[in-house]
Amino acid sequence: MSRHKIVRTMNLADELDDYDGDDYYEEEENEGMSQADKAKMADGLRRVREVIGDDVPTITNDKIEETLWYYYFDVERSITYLLMGATEKKKQKKTAAVDSSKARATFWDTRDSKYWRIDPRNIDNRIPPGVWDDIPFGGVPICRLAELVPPPIPVGARTTGLLGGSGPQPGKVSKLAALAKARSKAKAEKAAEVAGNDSSQSTTAVSLLNRLSKKVSTPIPVEAPAPMPVTPTPAAATEYDPPASESIPQQNDKIPTEKTRPNFIADPDSTPKALPSGFAKSMFGRRLDEMLLDLDEEIADAQLIYFSVAPSQKAAAKAKQGFEGPSPDDVVIAAQSQSKGLNKGQKAEKSSSTATTSIQKGVDGLKIAEPPEKPTAPKIARKKIDVVAEYEKSKAKRKENANLVVIGHVDAGKSTLMGRLLYDTGVVDERTIQKYKQEAEKIGKSSFALAWVLDQTGEERARGVTIDIAVNAFETEKGRFTILDAPGHRDFIPNMIAGAAQADFAVLVIDSSPGEFEAGFNIRGQTKEHALLVRSMGVQRIIVAVNKLDLLHWDQDRFDEIRQQMSQFLTTAGFQSKNVSFIPCSGLTGDNIVRKPEEGLVSWYSGPTLIEELETAKPVAKAIEKALRMTITDVYRGGVTNPVTISGRIEVGNLQIGDTIIGIPGDEKATVKGIEVDNETTEWAVAGNNVQLHLAGIEMDHLKIGDVVCHADSPLVPLKEFEAKILAFESLTPMMVDIHRGRLNASGRITKLVATLDKGNGTVTKKKPRHISPGSLAVISILVTGAPLPLEKGSRVVLRADGLTVAAGVVE
Amino acid sequence: MRLIKQQIERDGSGIVTLYPEEPEDMWHAYNLIRVGDTLRASAVRRIVSESSTGSTSSSRVHMSLTITVDKVDFDSQAGQLHINGRIAEENKFVKIGAHHTLDLELNRNFTIGKAEWDSVSLGVVREACDPAEKAEIGAVVLHEGLANVCLITEHMTVLRQRIDMSIPRKRTGSISAFEKAMDRFYETIYQSILRHLPVANLKVILLASPGFLAESLQKYIFAEAVKSDNKMILSAKPKFVTVHCSTGHVHALNEVLKSPAVIARLADTKYAKETRAMESFFKMMQTDEDRAWYGPKEVERAIEKGAVGTLLVSNSLFRSNNMSERRKYVQMVEEVKASGAGEVMILSSIHESGQRLDGLGGVAAILIFPLQDLDESDEESEAEAAVDNPGDGGLQ
Repeated sequence: MSRHKIVRTMNLADELDDYDGDDYYEEEENEGMSQADKAKMADGLRRVREVIGDDVPTITNDKIEETLWYYYFDVERSITYLLMGATEKKKQKKTAAVDSSKARATFWDTRDSKYWRIDPRNIDNRIPPGVWDDIPFGGVPICRLAELVPPPIPVGARTTGLLGGSGPQPGKVSKLAALAKARSKAKAEKAAEVAGNDSSQSTTAVSLLNRLSKKVSTPIPVEAPAPMPVTPTPAAATEYDPPASESIPQQNDKIPTEKTRPNFIADPDSTPKALPSGFAKSMFGRRLDEMLLDLDEEIADAQLIYFSVAPSQKAAAKAKQGFEGPSPDDVVIAAQSQSKGLNKGQKAEKSSSTATTSIQKGVDGLKIAEPPEKPTAPKIARKKIDVVAEYEKSKAKRKENANLVVIGHVDAGKSTLMGRLLYDTGVVDERTIQKYKQEAEKIGKSSFALAWVLDQTGEERARGVTIDIAVNAFETEKGRFTILDAPGHRDFIPNMIAGAAQADFAVLVIDSSPGEFEAGFNIRGQTKEHALLVRSMGVQRIIVAVNKLDLLHWDQDRFDEIRQQMSQFLTTAGFQSKNVSFIPCSGLTGDNIVRKPEEGLVSWYSGPTLIEELETAKPVAKAIEKALRMTITDVYRGGVTNPVTISGRIEVGNLQIGDTIIGIPGDEKATVKGIEVDNETTEWAVAGNNVQLHLAGIEMDHLKIGDVVCHADSPLVPLKEFEAKILAFESLTPMMVDIHRGRLNASGRITKLVATLDKGNGTVTKKKPRHISPGSLAVISILVTGAPLPLEKGSRVVLRADGLTVAAGVVE
Repeated sequence: MRLIKQQIERDGSGIVTLYPEEPEDMWHAYNLIRVGDTLRASAVRRIVSESSTGSTSSSRVHMSLTITVDKVDFDSQAGQLHINGRIAEENKFVKIGAHHTLDLELNRNFTIGKAEWDSVSLGVVREACDPAEKAEIGAVVLHEGLANVCLITEHMTVLRQRIDMSIPRKRTGSISAFEKAMDRFYETIYQSILRHLPVANLKVILLASPGFLAESLQKYIFAEAVKSDNKMILSAKPKFVTVHCSTGHVHALNEVLKSPAVIARLADTKYAKETRAMESFFKMMQTDEDRAWYGPKEVERAIEKGAVGTLLVSNSLFRSNNMSERRKYVQMVEEVKASGAGEVMILSSIHESGQRLDGLGGVAAILIFPLQDLDESDEESEAEAAVDNPGDGGLQ
């Protein structure tokens, strides 16, 4: 079959449909729409249709599918959402533009197409009613326009000889390419003249740049792209000009998408300006007239929706020609890939304000094939910012960040409560939660869905236990919070200590169900151990969340009983009663966490919700002027450009880009290349910030979790043996202990019991005691078994032995 | 070890000839040989001879040398014993007083001569030559990022390899780095087990960790063994036992060895008994403070009063180079034994339980009846002693 026959018999809509589909098929895979999801989608669609019926015009298949996707195939929720939406849709429809019934158009909703192709019942190309409801005809947002993709052409059918690997010899350019080159040059010059008259300087610069890229690229042999199939239908004779679309603010584009679609622009040379036909008039009405009026001005801006109506043979040929040469896109790409000097050219142009011609000369003078500069190790400049002053300045506009550690007995519902908090504050979206719900149901743990927001490793999910600290952040109107979700299981207390060491205040979660509170509160329960630990790590403010009260029908007596017992205990543990508050809540249902419980449900409680209580907690003031100290909580590869990244919370001091740091006890120095505070890049950071530091000049092996980062000029001296003033939780004799400080976990030996102290005034009650009984204050001396530890006077340490916290204290 | 010849006079002086058979015997030899003893063993020495014309030639000569011991050095990792001393018996190659370092070798006799063979030394000889069945176990204690691969024999705990790896923590959105690192961590442990533990000869291989790591490691080991078709590991499958402990540091072995799963399998071994004894001491300390005492002076007083039920002594005390100090401890042991009521346990200082005891000053006692204020008078005398000897603190 000859080429033009193919063209003649081709159904444009079908073609577009196909290629569109192919195009998006790939995207789908990227999004992760698996085969199973597709099956679910088809099933969900059928079930929704059963309920709603086929006759609701505003509810289209694609809308249903989109809704299903959002709710992760939850049919009921989707239906309610759709039915609610249907009423609102009707109002909008009235205001929408006319004449959609005849529409059989060449544009395509990007998201629609993918599902139509999946559902076999929809294969019949019939466009469901209501697709175009929200789009005025002719006013299709650019983001929804389809892209024309050339079909693969059999080798024999090629019309020009420019294809394939056998590119033309350098210097020997084919006639067509030469023609294209000449044309594009002429066009660019013309555009430059117009642009030159234009007052906007930035436009000039960029359009020049476009020209530059074209000009520069001409001597470079470029592999010509496949010729576009020319379709003698409306809206086909078009030419892309992406650089233009980048530079000029888009006028009729309302929704910018990730993938900006090329504008259809007019090429004044290639297409005749015919009067609109009657058909076109009826289709586009008033819009068309306006367009024609504005045509001349808009050509200058190269920004117009243009369509040729019933093109002549000649015009078609001309249009075809437009695709024969390398498309401007290819030219630009080719030029960019080969030209190292391009960026320089850009800079030069920006700084210059002289006439365009002189710039052009200057640009011509630039060498393209400059040998690439030898990449030298970037010397990171230190800006010498006065961080303390900057911090004081920014204090007013910044929300204070507070770290809160969530503690409590195992299975008290810590992770679920925090999952709920993140969900209700909008950090986690509906879809993710629905997904977790389904997956959790599959393994028979449906109540764990919210906890999965924080418990992400396979082990944690399979066992239903948090193992390591999970860090998440959320923001309310009054402040920013970083949640450290601690594990409750006694085996993972080292991890919990790591979390508590970074916390400003604590949320103690208590399971109020019968027997469970008591289990957590007894001698081996973690409720007590955790509370004591956070207190001895320096946390002063504690919020007790009495969880799972929904199971007890919000029983006030139970709440009061727990409150009474807990406040007694917390007072003895050293918390001031004004720093302790109690909140009844339910993590699973979400009552009294972010939203108030339903009216009448908890009639006896009128206090704040958990989040309101959090907002009242003020972070503790930090010593930002002192020498830098930060315990490394993680060392990892931050990406291609940041091979070594460390994270942690700055305990004391401040830090800026360019600083030289050292990880004690190592002695390798590194330079701070970049700082991220709560995932935003900054130039400096102060005590209290949760930071990620991108480092240069160091290998990952030289930094370990638990090391302390200091400035190289004020390092800390690691200790092999030290004395500590401790509070004993268990009986102490000279023995082997684990020494914990934040993430640091080392082994050591208590070598001497120096003295026991009086709790009231700190005077020595007995020198060299034989053993230290639980609850007493004492001074002991500890020898580190392995390498010296990064400790100094005032460091808080926790000592553990045989799975119990035996003591906590401060290095003397 | 085999006893070849024993010749001890009435006054306690004499010689003992021993034949070491396995690396552990070096540990026994280390506990026997003191500074001042004589030691005769085979040695290789380079001899330089000068001819009448003045040219020199050197040759390596095998000979038996007798030295007076100056220094004893034990390498527990390699199981080697190096003894430094001066030649005590002249032969045609070497003169008296020349220095020599003897490296004791397996399967070669050596003879120890002491001026005084006390009961403890003879006890060591007896113990070393006890042909009872040896129970060796392998143990891996680990927590995230740290693993210690140990070999526990009757008298020794040898740390074969310490694995310390940096494992990225879980972060929101990225757990793959964590999981990859964990896999690498398991792989390293697996390789270490293959290289450092004689799996076929071991009675049990303990995998101990907090949480679920040990189980995951066990799973990994067998998955790998199946993959690489490692018959040795697969056939040893029932030997692998997972135990819970609270940390991955070596001292967690204390916890491991007292766990019921281990006791059931290894009840009769010496180290299990030692661990149990230490455990009962600490328990006594918590329940009845006045019946558990530690430290040389306190225990000495308790012995004077005849109150000691169980005496725990670390063998590190008998390695002391100070003859009078050593004699003091020997006397304590003999006294308790003589009293009839008491039991004496000499703990191997290279086991974890022995190290715990060393932390208490090397000697501890569980009393039959409570005694109070054994340390009171100590404090007073301490104050005096502190003037002339500030370093003497009782617990070192």
